[in-house]
Amino acid sequence: MNYTKTFLSVVCPWNRDSAPSPTYKTKSTFLDPPWQPPMNQSTAHTPRGDRLIDREIKRSSNRKNMKANATTSSVKFSAEPEPEAEAEVSPSSPSISALEALSVHLISGLGLGLALLLANNVYSVNLVSHPSLTLLLISVIECPIVILLYSRHRKNREECSYLKAVGRGLVGLPVGALVNSLGAIALGAPVGTQYFLTTIYWSLMMSLFTIVPAVSVFGSSWKDWQRIFAQTNCRPIGSLDFMICLPAHGAIIGAWLGAWPMPLDWERPWQEWPICVSYGAMAGYLVAIVVSFSLILVRASFQHDKRD
Amino acid sequence: MGADTAIAPIFPNLLAFLLLLLRRRLLLLTLPVVGPSRLLIASSSLSSTPSVSKPWMDKLRVIQKLASERGSSARIFKAIADPPTTSLQRLKGLTTGGLPTFIDVGNSFGAPAIVEDNFIHQLVQNGKRVVMMGDDTWTQLFPNHFKKSYPYPSFNVKDLHTVDNGCIDHLLPTLYQEDWDVLIAHFLGVDHAGHIFGVDSSPMIEKLEQYNLVLEKVIEVLESQSGPGGLHENTLLLVMGDHGQTLHGDHGGGSPEEVETSIFAMNFKKPPFSIPPEFDTSSGGHNLDGKKMYISSIQQLDFAVTLSALVGIPFPFGSIGRVNTDLYALGSGTLNSEGTNLEKCQNQSELEQWKQNYVNVLCINSWQVKRYIDVYSASSLIGFSHEDLLQIADVYAQADKSWSNTTKKLFLHQNECSDSLLPALKMQIDLYVNFLTSVAELARSKWTEFNLKMMGTGFGIMLVSLLIHLLSIKWVAKQYGASFTCGDSGISLGLIVACFVVVIRASSFLSNSYILEEGKVANFLLATTGIFKLRYTILRKKMLLEAVVFLLLITFCRFTIEIGLSKQAVTSQFLNAYPSWIMSIVSQFPAWMYIAEVVPILVLILLSYLLYKTISSSYFVGIWKYMIMGTILSYMLIAVHWASESGTWSLALVSYGISRNCIPRMIYGIGLGQVSLLAFSQLFNKDKGLDHSKSLVVKTVGMLSALSSVVILLLGKQGPLVALASIIGGCCIMSLGNMEHEAKDSMSDPLAVDPLPVTQWNFLAACMFFCTGHWCAFDGLRYGAAFIGFDEFILIRQAILLTIDTFGFSHILPIFALPFLVARQNMLSQKQFILMRLSQVYLMYGLITATTVTVTMLCVTIHRRHLMVWGLFAPKFVFDVVGLILTDVLICLASLFYFGRVEKDVQQNPSTEK
Repeated sequence: MNYTKTFLSVVCPWNRDSAPSPTYKTKSTFLDPPWQPPMNQSTAHTPRGDRLIDREIKRSSNRKNMKANATTSSVKFSAEPEPEAEAEVSPSSPSISALEALSVHLISGLGLGLALLLANNVYSVNLVSHPSLTLLLISVIECPIVILLYSRHRKNREECSYLKAVGRGLVGLPVGALVNSLGAIALGAPVGTQYFLTTIYWSLMMSLFTIVPAVSVFGSSWKDWQRIFAQTNCRPIGSLDFMICLPAHGAIIGAWLGAWPMPLDWERPWQEWPICVSYGAMAGYLVAIVVSFSLILVRASFQHDKRD
Repeated sequence: MGADTAIAPIFPNLLAFLLLLLRRRLLLLTLPVVGPSRLLIASSSLSSTPSVSKPWMDKLRVIQKLASERGSSARIFKAIADPPTTSLQRLKGLTTGGLPTFIDVGNSFGAPAIVEDNFIHQLVQNGKRVVMMGDDTWTQLFPNHFKKSYPYPSFNVKDLHTVDNGCIDHLLPTLYQEDWDVLIAHFLGVDHAGHIFGVDSSPMIEKLEQYNLVLEKVIEVLESQSGPGGLHENTLLLVMGDHGQTLHGDHGGGSPEEVETSIFAMNFKKPPFSIPPEFDTSSGGHNLDGKKMYISSIQQLDFAVTLSALVGIPFPFGSIGRVNTDLYALGSGTLNSEGTNLEKCQNQSELEQWKQNYVNVLCINSWQVKRYIDVYSASSLIGFSHEDLLQIADVYAQADKSWSNTTKKLFLHQNECSDSLLPALKMQIDLYVNFLTSVAELARSKWTEFNLKMMGTGFGIMLVSLLIHLLSIKWVAKQYGASFTCGDSGISLGLIVACFVVVIRASSFLSNSYILEEGKVANFLLATTGIFKLRYTILRKKMLLEAVVFLLLITFCRFTIEIGLSKQAVTSQFLNAYPSWIMSIVSQFPAWMYIAEVVPILVLILLSYLLYKTISSSYFVGIWKYMIMGTILSYMLIAVHWASESGTWSLALVSYGISRNCIPRMIYGIGLGQVSLLAFSQLFNKDKGLDHSKSLVVKTVGMLSALSSVVILLLGKQGPLVALASIIGGCCIMSLGNMEHEAKDSMSDPLAVDPLPVTQWNFLAACMFFCTGHWCAFDGLRYGAAFIGFDEFILIRQAILLTIDTFGFSHILPIFALPFLVARQNMLSQKQFILMRLSQVYLMYGLITATTVTVTMLCVTIHRRHLMVWGLFAPKFVFDVVGLILTDVLICLASLFYFGRVEKDVQQNPSTEK
């Protein structure tokens, strides 16, 4: 019952826009085995608690002379010693529970599957026979799912309304598509009138996998973008970072790997641009979703143990 | 220039019915199921034959029927081809009678006309009318030879029927016409069906059944007109495959399935005698009904000469084949026996006559092969060894001596009938056969053998060289207390990415597709490193512009590479239609031509302006300033040269004839003078003790400017653009590398060397190779560049110019420009430190090149029997090895130049061998 309620609230975020965050309770019930008594409010840690523990670990292991502020502390990333790497974590930064993470991932993954299924069964097209149509279908189905889902977990909830987050997600879609297509062309994607539409649809899909979630959540905050897309040596701090960073990287790396069979002389239809690249991107995205979710789970259980 | 032989024509009409890919097995595979005694024969002649009956076997029933019914007038031969078993190579082998050699590499992609003497050429020379239908490779190989031709496109593998139906449509009507002497019908359906569906498929069986029907019809027509005075009284029908195929339907290699094919030969006159057993090399086989069937063996090499002998035309000059006994014997039925007294001893004389003829033919054949071998070893650089030649000459002398005895005897006994001639003739035949066989064996062993031991040794040397590179990088680092790694975190990310990218690029050479698209692969990986760098810049919020410019540059490179690849494709047989529309675009827009003329000159002026700005800075004093002024002068001269050549501007000042060769020579002179001046100053100039990194920059700029003018001139109008692109690319790599370094300076030891910029440098150089319109094949060389400034051909001079053109932007300039990577990084460091870094950078560059070449070698070793070995792997290997040797020599020179007397870093120059 509780679960269905949460699920509803995830799907229809406008129902609980002003609600504080009832998900912590559900999270604990979801994570704890049923034979254990439900956790009380004091032991259930807040996301800030998460972050503080994290910081403590880092601080003790790394730099001892680092000044730490009690409320808004700056974090020095361990292996990357550059001075700009200090990320300000604002107090209203988004937090997300494992269940929410699961549902976000599950819905976006299922959306992808649904799009493919729809294409195959209803329109009887597939990626190999009609790449542009299928990619368009994927983009159309994924677009509302991704924007609506990730906008729910936007940063700075006080300053940024839900509609604004959706709006910037919609703006981010073509911008991300442009960035993706430029990258693909630099890497050698074919250019020509016959590839024009497929490249556009492909880059829209890639944009939905990579840029749009970040835009919806972070807006134009440069530091967050840096943290998500350029940091390599330190792991993202929050669960939400995992959820944005890993699928985006997974999709890009998958697409990169998917480009390798293209020059082979097997003369298979799927070697055409962008079919195998899209397959690679989707596979990478799905794998990264699984990895992201399991990392979140591991983290949650690790902190759970630590609290005990 | 055929061997001027005169042989009595035996077959006025020849019908070469070339049924591509007629598998020997398709005819004979029913053999092993007959009985134990016959099983022995079958297994000895058909060792690779599976003993299970397959649906695709036994489909050309008409051939088997004829072969068993007609006895000696219809025969099946097992024809053994020489690898590579590709259509083009085989057709060449069939018509020229030669082995596939390295010379074929030169025109690997296209199917250019055969320039060697060949069977078809001799046919045409001797007034025979040749009609061709089917595979259009024939018309590419013999563009002006056919009297009539019905070519059909052969490259579309998925099309099973166009070629075959076209053949069938034209074949039967042509059979009733009188206006041809030789008819070639080349079917392709079986080949294509094998490629697409595999041998074990229903399209394959359908095709074979179709062929069976066609063959039946053809034979019916021929039979009906084969009576005395008929149209096909003297027609020989040959049904043959040019190569076999594996069970998957592929071919090109040297496995028995691919090499063994069959030839079915049928004469419509019954020969008056059967071949004596001592010459009969055939082994009797039995078909399904238990009837006897003759199976002989023939080398594909022998095909051209045997047919020449049958038709009565001179042998092809370069043929090393031998006139095959059995196939020649098939012609004996139409032997003209004039001038002999047949009445005396009818029983013996025909056989004897045939033998005499055969000996005559063999004599001419041996003489022709001997002459070819002599000419070949006199003109070829790497011919046969002296002992081999002596041995062959010995065998030939013996045969020749015996021949003079035999002819004496023949003249003595001309009008008698005696048995004594036959053994003499037999001995003579044996001697000639011995000679011809040993020549063919020798040629085969010299031309197509792979010495695995030597290959292994070469590979081992490369591995050792890699190890030495690695160790010396470590050693140099240790010498100065530097470490490869970043801080104490182990291995830096840059190193990982660099290694990853280098390994990926190297291992991509294991597939022929990636070698074909090498430029794109290098560009892809370069772009990947560019994106990786972009991430860094986002992280650091610095030099975002450089990273983006770098990516844009890569995109630009990528389009240029694609244009270069399309040029490569133009020469291939697949895209012959390509250049026409490019030409039409150019002709439609004259403004485009005008831009193409103006832009290079503008860029050249921009380059000289850049140089001018560089020397106006304070570093350059005295001699350096004048030297670089010399380069600017050369640039101006190049601009004048191009302007006068194009004719768009009418330059009244220079008369065309003088300037065409004069200006390039002046530029060469200036360049040579600058380089020698640099070397001279290096020898005698004392180090002035000023900041070493500054002097290093001055030296590098001087060297590059001295070299660049010649390279740009040779590369033609694309030169300035490519030069500008490499300058921009180099600057981006340099500053991006610096950013890494500056960031590290703050925390970890300042001695760490980042391999990523060096890798990027190497990849950019590789991209430049493809950008400048080259590719790794001998038809990728721009021979025109060798004749800029010179009209006559002198080997060494033109070879040097060609080398500069080919490797200018990909090897020479990048290697001499490498000090930029070091010099700008720490302007204030002491000399030793900079030199250490420089040597490390050079070692890394050498290591990256050597890694690539090592994997290429491995790949060539693995694919040495591959379909594309001469077309793709061998040229790639040659280019890589030449590139590696050049790289190592240049690194040595560069280190001599830049290190001066301080220290001479010993570079190993790994010798590479096959």
